[in-house]
Parts: sequence; C-alpha cells; structure tokens
Amino acid sequence: MAKRSVLGLFTEEQVDEAGDALEALASAGYTTTEYEVLTGTPYPEGTFGEAEPKHKLFRWPLTGAACGFIIGLVLTAGSQLAFPLVTGGKPILSIPPMAIIMYEGTMLGAIIFTIIGILLESRLPRLFMGAYDKRITEGYIGVTVTTEEDRIPRAEEVLKQSGAGDITRGWESK
Amino acid sequence: MQEHVQLSQKKINDDLLAGVLGMPKWWLGAVGFLLLVIATGIGAYGYEINKGLGVTGLNRPVLWGFYITNFVFWIGISHAGIMISAILRLTQAEWRRPVTRVAEVMTIFSLMAALSNIMFHVGRPWRLFWVYPYDFSRGLFMNIRSPFVWDPSAVMTYLIGSTLFVYVALIPDIAVVRDRATGKFAPKIYGMLCLGWRGTPRQWKLQAIAGILLSALVLPVFVSVHSIVSWDFAVAIGVEGWHSTIFAPYFIIGAIHSGVSAVAMIMALAMWMWKLDNYLRPDHFDAIGRLLIVVATTWFFFFFVEWIFALYTLESPELALRELQVFQAPYMWLFLAFLLTSFFIPVPMWLFKSVRRSPGLMFLSTILVNIGMWLERFLIIIPGLARRQPLQFDWGSYHPSIVEILVVAETFAFVALGMLLFSKFFPIIPIFDMKEGMQVREEIKIGRRIVPASIRETP
Amino acid sequence: MASHNASGHNEEHHAEGMYVPFTSQREVVNDLVTKHDKISDKWLSGVAAAGFLLVLGVIGFVMRVNDGVSDRMVWAYYAMMFSFILTTASAAPMVAIAPRLANAHWRRPVSRVAELWSAAGIFSLLLFIPMLWILPPLTDGRRSLWFYNSDDPFFSKVPVYSPHIWTTAALLSLAALGIMLLWLSAMPDLALMREHSTGWKQKWSARLSGRWIGTTEQWNMLHHRMGIVGALYFMMLVFVHYLVSTDFLMTLVPGWIDSLYPLTHAANSLQAGVATVILTMFFLRKFGGYEDYFTLDQFWAMSKLLFALSLLWFWFWFSSFNVFWYGKKPSEQAVLKYLMVGSYQPAFMAGFILSFVTPLLVMMWNRVRKSFWGPTIMSVAVLAGTFFDRLRLYVAAWSYPGVGDYRVDKHEIPFDSIPAANMPGVPDVLIVLGVIGGAVLFYLLAARLIPPVSIWEQKELMLYKLHKAYHRTEVLVLGKPR
Repeated sequence: MAKRSVLGLFTEEQVDEAGDALEALASAGYTTTEYEVLTGTPYPEGTFGEAEPKHKLFRWPLTGAACGFIIGLVLTAGSQLAFPLVTGGKPILSIPPMAIIMYEGTMLGAIIFTIIGILLESRLPRLFMGAYDKRITEGYIGVTVTTEEDRIPRAEEVLKQSGAGDITRGWESK
Repeated sequence: MQEHVQLSQKKINDDLLAGVLGMPKWWLGAVGFLLLVIATGIGAYGYEINKGLGVTGLNRPVLWGFYITNFVFWIGISHAGIMISAILRLTQAEWRRPVTRVAEVMTIFSLMAALSNIMFHVGRPWRLFWVYPYDFSRGLFMNIRSPFVWDPSAVMTYLIGSTLFVYVALIPDIAVVRDRATGKFAPKIYGMLCLGWRGTPRQWKLQAIAGILLSALVLPVFVSVHSIVSWDFAVAIGVEGWHSTIFAPYFIIGAIHSGVSAVAMIMALAMWMWKLDNYLRPDHFDAIGRLLIVVATTWFFFFFVEWIFALYTLESPELALRELQVFQAPYMWLFLAFLLTSFFIPVPMWLFKSVRRSPGLMFLSTILVNIGMWLERFLIIIPGLARRQPLQFDWGSYHPSIVEILVVAETFAFVALGMLLFSKFFPIIPIFDMKEGMQVREEIKIGRRIVPASIRETP
Repeated sequence: MASHNASGHNEEHHAEGMYVPFTSQREVVNDLVTKHDKISDKWLSGVAAAGFLLVLGVIGFVMRVNDGVSDRMVWAYYAMMFSFILTTASAAPMVAIAPRLANAHWRRPVSRVAELWSAAGIFSLLLFIPMLWILPPLTDGRRSLWFYNSDDPFFSKVPVYSPHIWTTAALLSLAALGIMLLWLSAMPDLALMREHSTGWKQKWSARLSGRWIGTTEQWNMLHHRMGIVGALYFMMLVFVHYLVSTDFLMTLVPGWIDSLYPLTHAANSLQAGVATVILTMFFLRKFGGYEDYFTLDQFWAMSKLLFALSLLWFWFWFSSFNVFWYGKKPSEQAVLKYLMVGSYQPAFMAGFILSFVTPLLVMMWNRVRKSFWGPTIMSVAVLAGTFFDRLRLYVAAWSYPGVGDYRVDKHEIPFDSIPAANMPGVPDVLIVLGVIGGAVLFYLLAARLIPPVSIWEQKELMLYKLHKAYHRTEVLVLGKPR
C-alpha cells in the first residue's frame, strides 16, 4: 500500500502546541518513525519532546581514513617501485615523503567518507518531499505524519486538535 | 555581542536572499568589469603560451617570479577560510556565524587562483597532469620524493575537502532558496541541489555535528597545505635564505595573518554591497581586530626568529642575501614597505577600539596587510634567487613584464568574480546559522544588568 | 534547577556536563574555605615524600659539586632537569591565562590550579643559579644569539656573559610575572580568608589582600590587570624558551642551526604544561577532596587541548626533521645522527612514542577524552615523553666534547665520530628525583597559603552558568559578561 503523508503547520510561537501534537500522535498510536517535526532552524534537542536521533556517523571518517591510508601507501610505494629512479641520494622508498602523501590520502578519504556519511545519516537525498510547506523555512513549524493511507485521516484529526493551522497532504512515493 | 539585533526568520530570509532573488544595480557592472580584466589576463596568457616563457621577466637565475609569489599569496589567503570557520566553530565562538561562509568560499576561489598560477608559471602546462600516477603503459611515474608532487596532493585535498565542507553547510540554505525561488527551473535546480532537505531534528543534528567534525578534519589539512608549500622552498639547500626549518610554521602564521585580514576586508565589502548592517555588526569587526592583533604579533615573532637564525649561522652567503634584502635598492624600499604595511601601521591601529569597530578603517588596514604579505613572499623569493651562485656564468636580474602583471591582475579579478557569482546563486551569509544564533540567544538578568548569553547543548 | 542541586553527587549529571553542586554562594565559600583550612594527612604525606626526594636531590647535587664545573658533561642531567621544570611547571599557568582571555567558563575551577604552579617558578630560579657557573662564556668560539666574535672589532665588544645576563633577567621577569599573576588572581580569595580564617592565615591574607573590598572598580581593575599580566607572562614564557633553547642548548651542539627549535621548545612546554595541570587536577580530585569542582567538563576540555597540542608536537618535530633530512647537508645530517638516530635513539623513540604516537592513538576516541582516567594516563605519558625528549637533547648537548673549550671546532660535528651517550650515574638519578620532588614541594606549600580552587571564579561561574527549562527540554545557558 502506498504511503501518504500529512503536514500540520504551526506558527513560530506555537512551539508548545507542536510538542503537544507529537505527544498526541504518540498516544494515538503512531510510532516515532511515523511522525517528525520540521523546522527552519535548529532548535535545542528535545524542544518538542522528540526522540533523540541516533546515528553512527563516527564510523565513516575512520573507514575513510583507513581506505585513504591504504591507497596512499599503495600509490607511493607502488609508483616508486614501478619506476625506481634514485633522486637526491634518497632511498627508493623514502618514508618522510611517503608519509606526506599518505597523510593527505588519509585525510581526503576521511573527509569524503564523512560527507557521504553525513548525507546518508541525514536520510538524504530524498526523492519525494511528501507533505511540505514553504513557510517552514520562514519560521513555521511543521509536524508531519508519514503512514499508510488509511491512517492519515486520524492523524489529520489529531493535528487539528493540537492547534495546527493549515493541513496539507502529500505523496511519499509514486 | 552587545549590539545584537533580534530579527524574525522571515526578515532574515528577505535580507539575506536579496542578492540571490534580486539583483543589485551594481552587480552587472561589477561582473562586466571583472570579466574584462580576466579577458585581458587570459589574452596575455595566450600570448605567453604562443611565444614561450621568454615574454615574462624571468631570467637566470631568477626563475621564479610574480607567478610563484602570487601562488604563495593565494595559498595564504585560502587559509583564512578554515582558520576563521573551523577554529571558531570548534571554540563555539558566537561571532563566527555571519563570517564563516565568506571565509570558506574565499578559500575555494583563492585555491583555484593559486593552482592557476602554477599553470601560468610552467612552460608546458599541458604536462601538468604528470604529477598524477597515470602511466601504466610506459611504466613512467612521478617522483614522490619531490615537493612538487606533495604540493598538488595537499592542495587538491584541501580544495576537495573545503568545497565539500561548503556544500554540506550550504544544504539547509539551498532549501530556503528553493522555497523562495520563482520561475520554471530555479526551484527544481535548487531542489535537486539541496537533496530534498526538510529540516527534521535528525538533519539538524547531523548538520551541527558536520560543522564540528569537518572542521576538525579540515584543520590538519589546512596545516599541511602551507607547510608543504613552504617545503617547496625550504627542503632543498640551493638557496641559502630558504633552507630554514621555521619555514612551515612561519608560512602558516603568515597565511593566517593575510587570510584573516582578507576576511575582514571582504566582510566590510559585503556589508556595504548588500547592506548587511544588521548582520555584520561593529562587534564582529572588533572581534576580528582582536584576533588580528594576536595573529600579527605571533607572525612578527616568527619573522624575528627567522631573521635572527639567518644571522646566527654567520655564513657569508646567508649574510649577503640579507644584506641584499635590506640595504640594496629596489629591495630595500620594498622591505621597508613590507614592514610598515604588514605590521607597523595596522597593528598600532588595531589597538584602538574605535578603529576595530569601524568597518572603513578595518578595510583599509587589512588591505595594507595584504599588500605587505604579498611583498613578503616577493622578498623571500626574488632576492633569494637573484644572488649569484658558484659556477654561474649568466647572471641576470628580474623585472616583471606586462604579461605577468596582467596575468596576476587576472587572478585577483577571478577570485572577486567567483565570490560575486557565488553570492548571486547562494546566500553568502549562512541563513540557518544566523537563525540559530537568534534561536539560542538568551539573556541572564543579574540585578539591573542584563548579560548576553547563549544556549549551549553539550554534544 | 532544584533537581540538580538535590542530586548533587549524581554521576549522570557529570556525564551531561550539566553539573552544579551548590545552590548558594555561601555554600561554595564554606566548602572551599573549610577544605583549605584543614591540614589533611594526605597533604602531610605528600609534603614528606616530596621533601624526602628533595633531600636526595640535594645529596646528588653536592656529589656533583665535588666534581667541579670544568667538565660540563657531569652537569648534563642537571641542565636537563632545569629545562624540564621550565617546560612543565612554568608553562602550567598558561592553562589559566589562555582560556581566561578566551572567556571560557570551564576553566574557572582550573585556573588557580594552574597559576599555583608559578610558585614553582621560584624553584626554577633556584635551579638556574648553578647554571650560571656551568654555562661557559662565549669565548669558546661557539655560535651564539649574541654574535660574539673575538676577531671582529665590533662584535668582540659583546659581553662574553651575555647568555647568562639575559637569561637571568628573563627568568626573573617570568617568575615575577607568575607571582604577580597568582597574587592578583588570589586577591579576592585572600580578602575572603582575611574575614573567614583564623591565626597566621588570617594575618597573612590580611597583609596580602590589601584594601580589597570588592568594589566594581576593583573588580574591573582586577580583570584588566589579570589580562595584561597574563599576556605578558605568555610573551615572557616564549622569550625564556627562546633564550634557554638556544643559549643553553642549541649553541652547544656544533652545526645545529634549527630556526624552528626555539618555538618547538615553547610549543612542547605548552603541551607539558597542560599535562601537568591535568595531573594536578586528578590528584586534587582524588586526594584533595575537590571532586565537586573538577568534573568531566574540565577533564574533557583539557584533554581536547592536550590532544591538539600532541598533534602539534608532531608537526613541529616533522617541520624541522623534514628540512634536515631532505637537505642532506653534512652538518645537519651529523646533528640528526647525534640527537636522533645515534646513541640517543632510545630516548628519542621514547619521547616520540609517548608525546605523540600514544596520545594520537588513544585520545582520538571521544570516549577516552571524556573521562577521568583517559586524560590522566595520557598526561603521565606526555610528561614522560617530554622528559625523554629533553633528556636526549640536553644531555646530548651538554655531553658534547669540547663545550667551553676553544680548541674544539664549534661549527660542525664530524659525521664519523659521533660521541657515545652519556649514561646517568647515581648523582644524576638523585638529581632527577630531587628536582621533581622540589617542584611538587613548592606547589604543595603554595597550595597551603592560597586556596587551590579559585573561590571567586567559582562564585562568578554560578552567576553565568544556568540551567533553564526550554519548552520540553532543559538547556544550559552560558552568559558572556565581557
């Protein structure tokens, strides 16, 4: 069954009402994976009583660093062994220059993997916006519920009861 | 942050997107002018490619001239980005908010300008890709023991890293533009660029972590880049004045000096051009001025130690080089100008609070610093090479040719154009960061005094 | 927040960094004054142990005095210990100065711990006195910062005791600035002791606190002066390192021309200074009863500093090493051979591993940084690393044959005849123990006179650090008064 989503919009001052909406949704049987709060600016964590997002970002830079380090090692050692020309009386496998390039490789790997990790952990890219309102980036607070089509009307009701102004519906996928 | 102005999110959007959604009157004119300068520079470069490096003033033994000076200069400017944004992010300094992006974007364009200088400098630029290991069929590889291979690896890492950093921090702001842009394509393109950002708590949390984590990762790269650039000079023993262990930290601190100055300069410009008085407050200039006093003084101490240890050797070639720098025209005049503009005029100015709080005076003093720091690189490179070495039969001097001057001017126009174009398509002041600043703003009332405060979450 | 105060010693609150142990300023004052007034058994046994070590050191010193000063080699370990104290104890006050200038709140309980180390500055002055005899005049023909040259009509007029004169002046200024900083920052607390203590302490604090009554003008003045004295202390510290690392180290090794080294010496001292303060914090927490003040906040912030400075250690070292290694200049290769890969290699490796490799691998994990044991153990590693690093350089420099002898060439070490390592004798071991004991003794005694946790900064913190309900969560609000 296709998933639908619904969005209730609260004004900037209705922070507590948005929090109420989350509470009401929880007691109406919606799970934390189904409802989310959308804001145009980061609020201190837990402002709306939402669950603390869990993530495993810290694995990414480490993996990236390890990959970058290995690539750096293979590149520096491999290219010097493949073309062993002594320059400046230095050994073919000279550690200080190799260390410099391996260091850059390590850092590049760590940065690229961290970026990928941040995007994926942020659940981006997102192909369908679902129910959304442009006023969210203007300060309004949105509470969305993404769920099976038949549970949408009940969610709408809950949002309305909590004081949401406009209510819009949207598709999660086609 | 006493002079904080509390603004609504809508007002912030309107103010900071004015340059993106609309077009200031001067914009087209400025872009046109910069394009003209760039076209002249590229024309001059085309002439240089056609005729060969002989059209420059380069001459045995001075085989590094304006281009390399300019290369080091732009690498130096590029260090501002990370210095300002990473260090201030890591120390959670509230005044960082409006300045981080300016600094980061400047990093990207000045790095590109720096790289282009290398291309201008080498006789056969189409062989540049030889620094990359590509030649599996002929078994011919680059020599990683050469600093000229360390250099591209470091600069490319820095460029890729800081570009990605800017992009990630830009995503929430692109979403703001997406929601405001009109027309057929613009919302779609911005929509794609922001990857479908919605602003969930998870996304905001990761955005906050990204700022800290990427700062911590880019910072060591930043240190390595200029260290390696300095080793282009220092590791070999051919030029006496260059073979000095202090070069890596000395170049870094010099880069920070010129880079932070450049940020102050651009801040003043941005404030005037987009009328951002509500966002770039005298407080911000004050903070950057204080930072500059520390940076400039540290830099000067490094400069002092570098000089003392050159004399400490008591080796005649080294002493002769210093004599050339300080007592012989034209270098003596340049040396004097360098000392005055990079330290002795601006630092006493910054000691006064009224100067630090005046964007106009900060603009002037930081321009002076950058003139001085350009001269510093020139004085390291050209007199160092101009000295006659043993077994040298051909001993010329160096005067920049018109080609070099036009090409160098082109790099300045390139960076300016890059910043202008960026600011046309994306907000140059981070919108979400400013909004967050308003959000975490608090006040503590102690008796009759209200102390500004901010909400901190402990990650 | 009532809940936080009620559950004062709840470990969970430590972990969140949201820990406020006391509700009122009076509570803080009472707690800290009582802790300071009481002479604990642990303090007494600390003093006894440190005093015993100091006595051993004096015995070692007397044994060395019997050998005379003409042979500098026997004084190598003494010189090294002088630099070790300069690197650790004298740099520790920077932990109070830098975060105070940056207005970081976490430093408030730490700043006095750090400043008290400037009392050991007096000890380093005492240690320096014999150095004046040990360091030969410039007549032995070595390169120097003062460019003395007996053949040159101008430079022959340079006083041959310039290194002695200037370093003495700089060290005196540093010690004076340190004591001034300590006195300034202790002034409000001394005034408090004037009113709350009894006996000799009351008298001593009354004399030192002057006319402090805490007017707005006095507070403004105090902040202003502390800022200036702090900045001057930092500049003087860098300058002292510059002088000591050249005149008392680099000039003694022929051909060692390393323009970065004076700054490396100073940067290493910042690392060792942070380590010293972390270790002191740990001891005060464990044995001094100050666990309410040195919370995870302080350890975490300090361990971030220690981690960053350990990375900096490598950068400074590599910047010098790479230039020497790449240049392949014979004189520089000989220096590398003597100081790094030759007979002092074990000491170099120990320093490298303990000052950089271990902190890198261990402290890259936030879980370690945000703990009590992690930073403490790493501080021990860093201090040991600093010890070995100073050992390989100072002992090597002072043991180089011909220090003070004009007949030996002072421009280059002959590559093929690198001298063997100078192994420590019994007096050297005694001196090492004695100097460490002496520094600790000075600290312990100073901590008797002045409270080791700044009472007024702790009170100020209570004004600016609040916990506040924010809709459905609770946040930490930090005020920025200046």
